[in-house]
Amino acid sequence: MAGIRRIEYYLPEQVVTNDDLAEVFETWSAEKIYKKTGIASRHIAAENETALDLAEKACVKVFNEVAINKEEIDFLVFVTQNPDYRLPTTACLLQDRLGLRKGIGAFDINLGCSGFIYGLAVAKSLVDAKLASNVLLVTSEIYSKYINELDRSTRTIFGDGAAATVVGIDGIQIGPFDFGTDGSGEDAFKIPASGARIPQTEETSKVLEDNGNWRSQEQIFMDGTEIFSFTLREVPESVNRVLEKAGLKLEEVDQFIFHQANQFMLNHLRHVIGIDKKKFYINMADTGNTVSASIPIALKRALDEKVIGENQTVLLSGFGVGLSWGTVILKT
Amino acid sequence: MTATEKLALLEDMLEMDEGTLSPETELEALEEWDSMAKLSLIVLIDDECGKTLTSDDIKGFKTIQDILNFMG
Repeated sequence: MAGIRRIEYYLPEQVVTNDDLAEVFETWSAEKIYKKTGIASRHIAAENETALDLAEKACVKVFNEVAINKEEIDFLVFVTQNPDYRLPTTACLLQDRLGLRKGIGAFDINLGCSGFIYGLAVAKSLVDAKLASNVLLVTSEIYSKYINELDRSTRTIFGDGAAATVVGIDGIQIGPFDFGTDGSGEDAFKIPASGARIPQTEETSKVLEDNGNWRSQEQIFMDGTEIFSFTLREVPESVNRVLEKAGLKLEEVDQFIFHQANQFMLNHLRHVIGIDKKKFYINMADTGNTVSASIPIALKRALDEKVIGENQTVLLSGFGVGLSWGTVILKT
Repeated sequence: MTATEKLALLEDMLEMDEGTLSPETELEALEEWDSMAKLSLIVLIDDECGKTLTSDDIKGFKTIQDILNFMG
């Protein structure tokens, strides 16, 4: 059965604190930002640093460990919404950067906050179907490059980062899963002029005001209220379905790690589902919301801190842009 | 809950001084009525009134009275 063998992550060097942001956003003090988001600082990629660069650094950490040799990797799955180019595929570029064998498969997955869950599903499927023995699943995001400096709604929340997860034949067991998709939520989280539907023009690059926030159509728009409503509507049901598939009761799960979106929102979600606070892992004060990297970063930290021990049941849930969501049970 | 109690909860949530909010206050004109306030309202209404406030509901609110009406 496919399992997670190792996780490593990389956060870029530059840090933006709440004090830095409070200087820009007069009505929001550093304490208010922390109180409402649970975030004190976030890492931001350098000007010439892309998701590929962050990913490479996370992957190098994986191979520094004697137990995993890069020759063992026979498939590479790269989760990002911000590739280096529309073509060629960023996963192909990473194969070359890392010096992985050429006789491997590689492709990108375009998903955000739910990306790690889907990535795990794909990696597990490849291993269980004997199409691969060791999948390098990379989740890397650089939302900061697509956020306007004067957009409080997104600048306070998002941070950049990358995680590299190796899925092989042994390790933390993966499954069952629950998946969900709702494309009607298209406008809740979007970069409008970012592809074929709305080509980029001089018009789309104009920065306009929207309720005290500034952004262009080429930058990220997120309706936080809509997203919050969506998570309250779908995530509890997704958790219930996956527990039913696994034949487990809520109390039998030892630790819950949700997509580290926003602490305020997560606490309410936890309360609505009825999860014991001690079992609900939140560690995002210094990372912010790193999109598809958020769950593997939190999982790695929980394992390192021994918050998760041996023979334990862990539930992961990722939800957001798409709208897309996924929940999975892990067994250590 | 009386109207005064509800107003007090909203003032507290919006970090406004007691007595500064009135039912006629228009939300658009309120500086404190930002994206964080809307998230807080969803939680407040669940905690205090046991009701689910959706993003669509919020879009329909024009004045504080609309919120008071929803609170029941």
